[in-house]
Amino acid sequence: MAIRSLELRARVVVEGFWNGLHRSPYHGYSVEFTEYRQYSPGDETRYLDWRLYARSDRYYLKKFEDETNLRCHMLVDQSRSMSYGSVGHTKSDYARTLAATLAWFLNEQGDAIGLFTFAGRVRDYLPARHRHGHLRQLMLVLEKESEGRETNLGEPLRRVAELARKRGLIVLISDLLAPIDELERNLGRLTAVGHELVIFQVLDPNELAFDFNRAMLFQDVESQKDIYLDPETVRAEYQRKLQSHGLGVEGICRKLGSAFHRVVTNQPMDIALFNFLQSRNRRGKLIRRRTQSTSPS
Amino acid sequence: MNFLTPWFLLGAAAIAGPILFHLIRRIARERMTFSSLMFLKPTPPRVTRHRKLEHLWLLLLRCLCLLLLAAGFARPFFSKNNAMPVAPDEERQLVLLVDTSASMKREGVWDKARSLAEKYLAQTTPADQVAVLTFDRRPQTVVNFTEWVSWGVDQRASLARQRLAAISPGWMGTQLGLALTSAAEKFREDSANGKPVSHRELVLISDLQEGAKLDGLQGHDWPSGVKVILERVDVKPQSNAGLEIQSSGATVGDDQRVRVRVTNDRDSNREKFQLNWQSENGTAVAGEPMEIYLPPGQTRSFSAPTLPAETTAAEIQLTGDEVNFDNHSYFAAPEAEHLTIAWFGLDSDNDPVKMRYYLQRVFPETPGRQVKVISPTVQQAFSPELLNQAAFAVIPGRLAPEEITSTRDWLARGKTALFVVTDEQAAPSLAALTSLPEIKISEAAGDYALLDEIDFTHPLFAPFADPRFNDFTHIHFWKHRRMEFPPVTQARVLAKFDDGSPALAQIPVGQGNLLVLAAGWNPADSQLALSSKFLPLMQTLLDWSGGAVPARFQFETGDSIPSPVSSGGAVVQWQKPDGKKESHAAGAAFSEADLPGIYTATFGDKRRQFAVNLPLDESRTAPMSPDELARLGVPLQTLSQIPVVKAQEIQRHLHRAELENRQKLWRWLIVGVLAVMFGEIILSGWLARREKTAEVTT
Repeated sequence: MAIRSLELRARVVVEGFWNGLHRSPYHGYSVEFTEYRQYSPGDETRYLDWRLYARSDRYYLKKFEDETNLRCHMLVDQSRSMSYGSVGHTKSDYARTLAATLAWFLNEQGDAIGLFTFAGRVRDYLPARHRHGHLRQLMLVLEKESEGRETNLGEPLRRVAELARKRGLIVLISDLLAPIDELERNLGRLTAVGHELVIFQVLDPNELAFDFNRAMLFQDVESQKDIYLDPETVRAEYQRKLQSHGLGVEGICRKLGSAFHRVVTNQPMDIALFNFLQSRNRRGKLIRRRTQSTSPS
Repeated sequence: MNFLTPWFLLGAAAIAGPILFHLIRRIARERMTFSSLMFLKPTPPRVTRHRKLEHLWLLLLRCLCLLLLAAGFARPFFSKNNAMPVAPDEERQLVLLVDTSASMKREGVWDKARSLAEKYLAQTTPADQVAVLTFDRRPQTVVNFTEWVSWGVDQRASLARQRLAAISPGWMGTQLGLALTSAAEKFREDSANGKPVSHRELVLISDLQEGAKLDGLQGHDWPSGVKVILERVDVKPQSNAGLEIQSSGATVGDDQRVRVRVTNDRDSNREKFQLNWQSENGTAVAGEPMEIYLPPGQTRSFSAPTLPAETTAAEIQLTGDEVNFDNHSYFAAPEAEHLTIAWFGLDSDNDPVKMRYYLQRVFPETPGRQVKVISPTVQQAFSPELLNQAAFAVIPGRLAPEEITSTRDWLARGKTALFVVTDEQAAPSLAALTSLPEIKISEAAGDYALLDEIDFTHPLFAPFADPRFNDFTHIHFWKHRRMEFPPVTQARVLAKFDDGSPALAQIPVGQGNLLVLAAGWNPADSQLALSSKFLPLMQTLLDWSGGAVPARFQFETGDSIPSPVSSGGAVVQWQKPDGKKESHAAGAAFSEADLPGIYTATFGDKRRQFAVNLPLDESRTAPMSPDELARLGVPLQTLSQIPVVKAQEIQRHLHRAELENRQKLWRWLIVGVLAVMFGEIILSGWLARREKTAEVTT
């Protein structure tokens, strides 16, 4: 987070990520060969693989994966709980950088990128587009400071379902510090309309470890409520509850068929990007297998 | 050291607070913002282990501050050398004033009043001096201070109780003002044993009814140190109405129509009442009861049902209320008074230039009085019998010798005559009548004379004493005679002319009186007969002479009923409503009218009835506000009893308050509190800084 410009930060992450890869599995996958199929009378002859015919004297058709334009919407939580940070930057900074990174990456791939920022309600909305200047506009929106209060996913997700009617990819970046049943109800609303959902839960290291050394008043940044806490006393219980909550969220994601990634704000951003791509890859293979098993041979 | 308000020392218990707070681990004042507290529960403050007190010096300072504050509020003072000497055997004068008016006849009221009085008697100490008085229309002493002190200490209360037990409420009205002032005067009497009296308490035990008269309280000079304690007898609120017969409204005709004034108490919840006549023996004499409507708090006059003309006495009953003691009123039909005035002259009563013309007309016939003017000389012959019938005589000028003797004897029996000096020839007759050696009479010269130096203290002129009526200067006397009485005579000059000669003189003759007027009232002599003073003067003269008895037949209980016969040797036999009979000399008023009812006076062959009733104010039984007494200057103490012990305690408290006020030790304690607080602030600040430094270094 040393680089102040969000756009530059995203670009550095993505390019660094690319440089680190020896061979990108995603390079040119938009017109990717998938399989051969034996020629049947009536098939188009232009897809015949003449080289294979030369070697084997049999007619095979080359099959290609259809190229689709991905419509991806980033949902970035800007509630007040995201303003917490103990490692020099806040969860909100991290989330915005992550969103920008993913947007940059997908934009480079030629996908349409949209953006929702929310804090109790949808604050900014950029429709998913892929055109010149759109990414810059998206970066400008992401750079706006948060003014929200509580983490309320209900209203924003309902609004997202209304605005993003075309099915696509929804990337939700939030700390998800809300009751489990509420999360399940609201996330289910998105998957119900056919969106593919990827969830990034952004947490601060202190939220995970609760590493405070003396008793003091703790103030909830959203409700401004003060309570007196002795960390030594409450740490174990807190971690148990947090873990339980995380497991609950993971369970919901599994149920909804969504990818869930927990990122901690002291982790490098490219790990998150790698995890994302890996999960996309796995999902792509899974879909292909399902398609092959269901398609008539 | 003593404390004026020691209960504030309980505030010292507040030091438990600082001790507890110091036992509790200090709650950090740092505030840490955190993303969400949804997984966190507040940690209860923990008491330090092994009950270890933190910051002992700070705790001591805080506790000291609270202790000093509590001590300051408790207002300490030193009383070592200023202890108030306690008088163990203080004298107290106690007057119990118990109401025995008719309103106390209500059910249960008297029993409560007596038990209240007995409670006070039981609480007396051997040092007390007690007097017990009862009052209704006038106060009566049951026990006085001297008697109380003369009794044995053990017997005092019981003897007083015995006397009180023999008393019951009468039928009189309530003169509360007179009773209070009379009871206060009891304190002026010297205490029996000569010891100084420090407390004087007047306990009024009464129903304090609204109708009680408070005359005489305004501006009364109360003896010093007297405190009046009101003990109101609790009476269950009841609807009460009362009535009285208006004597002035009674008329005589074919039927008698009587006006009745009815009052309904302001606390009453009844509005409809019935009036019904009863005869003396209790049987109804008139037809249907008359229904009347009277809102609470009002008094109105009603025409009662007519009575037969021959009824001489009756009782009217009011029904419809809840209290019965005042529901009867008695009526005695007025009887006309027949009076005779002897005129020693031969004037015609139709000649307006003569004096008799005016005398004949100055006494008009009224329902209560019929005056007849007669001449004792009939056909040139004087008749002493006719003179004896006369209640009053007028002698214009001179008398025949035989008339002089009879008239002088008649006068000597207590009669009164008016001798009008018409000329100088009247001197011998006047001297003979008055048995004076010589009276000089001469005709006065001058235009006219006016009256001067009138003796308004004499009953004859007393009605004119008011400045509104005492102007006699418009009466001109065209002619008058100068009279000179011997120096040794007992003549009393009641009025003089402006030339200094007597105009009207009173000369005693035996038991009677002869009034001598130096001018006539005929127009040739003066304007007296034509003036507005003539009629009241002659009426007063007739009344004063004793010839007429005031025509009044309705009285209130406790009133004196004047004798129906003013003079003579007759004895008047009085009969009370309860049948008791008493004999009084003629002219002596009957003063034992203590029961409501019809009183009968019998003298000779004559009989006259008088009605005695309860005062109407006694029916106003609604409670009076004690503020009314306070407004009239009655030194009320409280509405409830304050025993002597408590009074002493109050005095002791006042003494202590004065000592404390003089010493004002609390000021020093407050200064101490401020100093300790200052030290606490410095110490706590130092400790806070030290802790912060320690935190930074760690």
